Amino acid sequence: MDNFYIEATATSPEIDFRFDQNLLSMKGESYPENAAAFYSPVVQQLRDYLGARDGETITANIALAYFNSSSTKMLFSIFDALDQAAEAGNTIEVNWYHEEEDETIFEFGEELKADFTSIVFNDCPIAT
Amino acid sequence: MFNSPAAQQDCTFFDLAQQRNVIFYHMGYFSHHIISAMAEVVKLQLEISGVSGPTRRKLFSSFVELSQNIIHYSSDALTASVAEESGLRQGAVCISTDGERHLMLCANPIATADTERLRAKLEPLRNMSIEEIKQAYKTSLRAETPEDSKGAGLGFLTMARDACAPLEFDFHPRADDPDTTLFCLKATI
Repeated sequence: MDNFYIEATATSPEIDFRFDQNLLSMKGESYPENAAAFYSPVVQQLRDYLGARDGETITANIALAYFNSSSTKMLFSIFDALDQAAEAGNTIEVNWYHEEEDETIFEFGEELKADFTSIVFNDCPIAT
Repeated sequence: MFNSPAAQQDCTFFDLAQQRNVIFYHMGYFSHHIISAMAEVVKLQLEISGVSGPTRRKLFSSFVELSQNIIHYSSDALTASVAEESGLRQGAVCISTDGERHLMLCANPIATADTERLRAKLEPLRNMSIEEIKQAYKTSLRAETPEDSKGAGLGFLTMARDACAPLEFDFHPRADDPDTTLFCLKATI
């Protein structure tokens, strides 16, 4: 399937899913007008791609500098899709980037780690 | 012309804003594009004001939640059809400093019928400790989105989590329009 790319805007992150390299990236800030509308096609593409993978190693780099409350639920959907793919026999590694002093994003990462145990979750603080 | 009564009043407004250490103030219509532009101004203003990184992030987060609340829930749309298309809603938001603390205020008209529903959401948060708020946030994060929510139903919890004092709120019914009530919310950060 084709790679999937959405350019970043001031209020929505860059989505760079390189399915041919098993490399998924999300980067930027996330407070779109309608988080469900923005993330629905993202989650759909991700599920379609993951559904066709078996025994592969997939890396996701997530570097969101800020996300609003309605984006948080969408992130849960993305992690749910990744976790299911890990349970189905793939190796899913997530690098969770955040500024070192940003406790909110660090703590949110800890919640994701606690819920989605099949994912290899790496907390990646960036010194500011 | 600077001695005219009107000019005096203009000065009073600016003096008052300065006395109250206002960093940012907007009253009028809100749309997603307006929020996006204001977010840029707020970020810049907070940086220039020398606010520390963690506080800046909390203020910015509360600003976004409050402003998006106004778009989602303010009852004062420009006109029904225009609002439907552009999401223009009326409200006000103000950020100021008070010693070491920062105050984030917002006000927007709501339908009087929604008053009790909002009160029921906000009142319990006032009596919760920060640990209880974080726990409630974690629970809501995993719960189904409430039916009356246009976001994730996490906005008030997010603000309560970022605030260093209980959220304050008030309802002022409009004397000239009993179906409309002004909803005011204050977060101390």
